[in-house]
Amino acid sequence: MKKIIKWLMDENPLFVLCLGLCPALAVTTNFENGYLMGLCVMMVLLLSNITVSLLSRFISDHMRVPAYIMIIATFVTILELLLQTYVEPLSKVLGIYIPLIVVNCIILGRALSYASKHKLKDSILDALKIGLGYTLALGLLGFIRELIGSNTITIMDRISGLTGYVMKYEVFPTNDFIPNALFTSPAGAFLTMGLVLGIINMLRKGDVK
Amino acid sequence: MKFGFDNGPHLRDSDNTSKIMKRLFVALLPIILFSIYKNGILPYMEGYTNFFGAIKPFFMILFGVGTSFVTELIYFRFILKKKENLKEEIKHSYGMFPGLFLALTLPLNTPLWLVVVGAFVASFLGKLIFGGLGYNIFNPALVGNLFVIASYGALIASKGGYLNPMELDTIAGATPLTNLSNINYVGTSTKIIGPFGNLLDFLFGLIPGSLGETSKLLIILGFIFLVVTKVIKWIIPTTYVFVVFIMTWLIGSINDMGIWYPTFHILSGGLLFGAVFMATDPVTSPTTKDGQLLFGLGLGLLTVLFRFLTPYPEGVLTSILTMNMLVFIIDRIGAKAKFIKRYRYIPILVMSLIIIGFSIYIGNNMPGESVVDDRFKIINVEEADNLTVYKVSQKGFKGLIEAKITIEDDQITSVDITSQQESYWSEIEDKNYIENLIDNQDNIEDVDAISGATISSNALKAMISNVLKDYEVRK
Repeated sequence: MKKIIKWLMDENPLFVLCLGLCPALAVTTNFENGYLMGLCVMMVLLLSNITVSLLSRFISDHMRVPAYIMIIATFVTILELLLQTYVEPLSKVLGIYIPLIVVNCIILGRALSYASKHKLKDSILDALKIGLGYTLALGLLGFIRELIGSNTITIMDRISGLTGYVMKYEVFPTNDFIPNALFTSPAGAFLTMGLVLGIINMLRKGDVK
Repeated sequence: MKFGFDNGPHLRDSDNTSKIMKRLFVALLPIILFSIYKNGILPYMEGYTNFFGAIKPFFMILFGVGTSFVTELIYFRFILKKKENLKEEIKHSYGMFPGLFLALTLPLNTPLWLVVVGAFVASFLGKLIFGGLGYNIFNPALVGNLFVIASYGALIASKGGYLNPMELDTIAGATPLTNLSNINYVGTSTKIIGPFGNLLDFLFGLIPGSLGETSKLLIILGFIFLVVTKVIKWIIPTTYVFVVFIMTWLIGSINDMGIWYPTFHILSGGLLFGAVFMATDPVTSPTTKDGQLLFGLGLGLLTVLFRFLTPYPEGVLTSILTMNMLVFIIDRIGAKAKFIKRYRYIPILVMSLIIIGFSIYIGNNMPGESVVDDRFKIINVEEADNLTVYKVSQKGFKGLIEAKITIEDDQITSVDITSQQESYWSEIEDKNYIENLIDNQDNIEDVDAISGATISSNALKAMISNVLKDYEVRK
């Protein structure tokens, strides 16, 4: 267990490398949006890492960035069209942040710095590590913000058309807990993000020593 | 020889922290006592509230101070892992003051648990997370206040907002500044000051407002005491109040209002309290003299702009927080101004020009009451023999409110709202406000706005009276 957490947290893109902040702040208004955004990024990351690690020896060095962007953009477009077809409510909420995965520095960064230099198996593992770490981080942010901001936890609501279930729970009895709407607003995103980053840094400090 | 390295300040005089704290407390004590008297004991003696109501303000202050103290205690004990002299540490970091100031800037009807949450946010997010006293960029108490008002403003308003139980009974409406913003900033003194007594009541503090801000006389006395004992610098508060006075005086005289108008602006709201106790916080205000002058000019300008050009009536809190962000730039200018003359005069000249320019602009663009309402638009009118159907739109809090209004035999019979984007619309629906307006259409100005959805309800009111006016002309 400790190993898994260390594996995920050691190079967590959001909390340690501080990459991909824009969707992290914008879409994590509830748990569902958070982890689904993370999963979308993970899918693209996985596919692009595979393709890049297979093709890297055919791509000359000074054409790397445009070529990788093309590869990533292809997968992002596929993902976007799939989302629009099958889970329209979700694609409406995530909106512009799905096309923006193209320029997400996590994906391009991993393609440039890792996948182009490593074998297929390592690239897949790397994509899983980074992708799961990102999903976990977004899920955590979404969880905290939704819990405080609207006193609910949404696990499946917007994708219920696909899965057939609606899972949305009220956490505290409404009379005892008045949700703080600030946390679902952008200001709350910064607050939550900063606090979580601070706590994680505090815990990591002990690790490094 | 070895040199020691340490952070400033290196020059100290005999005034130590506990002396400064005692003086601040002496200046605040009359204000605290008065607010307990005015908000708790006075309504209790007049029979407007029970015993709990009488001690509520005292408990708010107690809870604020206590929470701040406990937060600092936990921070020093468990995060910094200090074990000895915890009380001394907290004393040296002015541990109790964020909670105290927060309680004094909150409305009376804030629930006690919210005071606790706010004081925790003030101490922890406003101060300790930056590294404690001396490192915070924003005034801690105002951070807590902003947190409480921004997230629970509607809750507080629904419990009665700033009014104490006695005022709830005698004064219809809200604080003087909300009233001013409701009547579009221009009017006679009976309309602006009249509902709350006279200017002497404003001076003594018998008007609605947050706990500590109402008694201007005691605040001025505290200011004199603090300046004489050299706890605070006089430049910031004086410049701040002076700029607000000049700007509102210009705006008032352009609109033919007398000297009472700027006096009203200075004596209402949290202006004096903020200027004396919040803007002079030594950590979050400039240290150079020229910087302090610029800081005061900026505060005054921002406060007037917030009061006149945004839907938010107060503006003191927001302008102090905004200027806190600019302190380090201001201090750089101030440090250069000591040696280079143009750094001293050019910023002040520019600021004065901006201040005068804005006053003239605002003064000439006051909507007032008699002017035709440009937020109102008629989309189309259908007339049958005794039936007239208006399709109209009126600008509300967030966007346009569109409605279909039917007039039958010179009387409005139905108002169907076809689209709206108001934030607090549920308040309007809960209280059947539209039905209330239809019932009282002949004297619509007497219908009170709903506190918590003031702008939306005023927009509805204006929409119906505009339709009636247009109908009169058409007939």
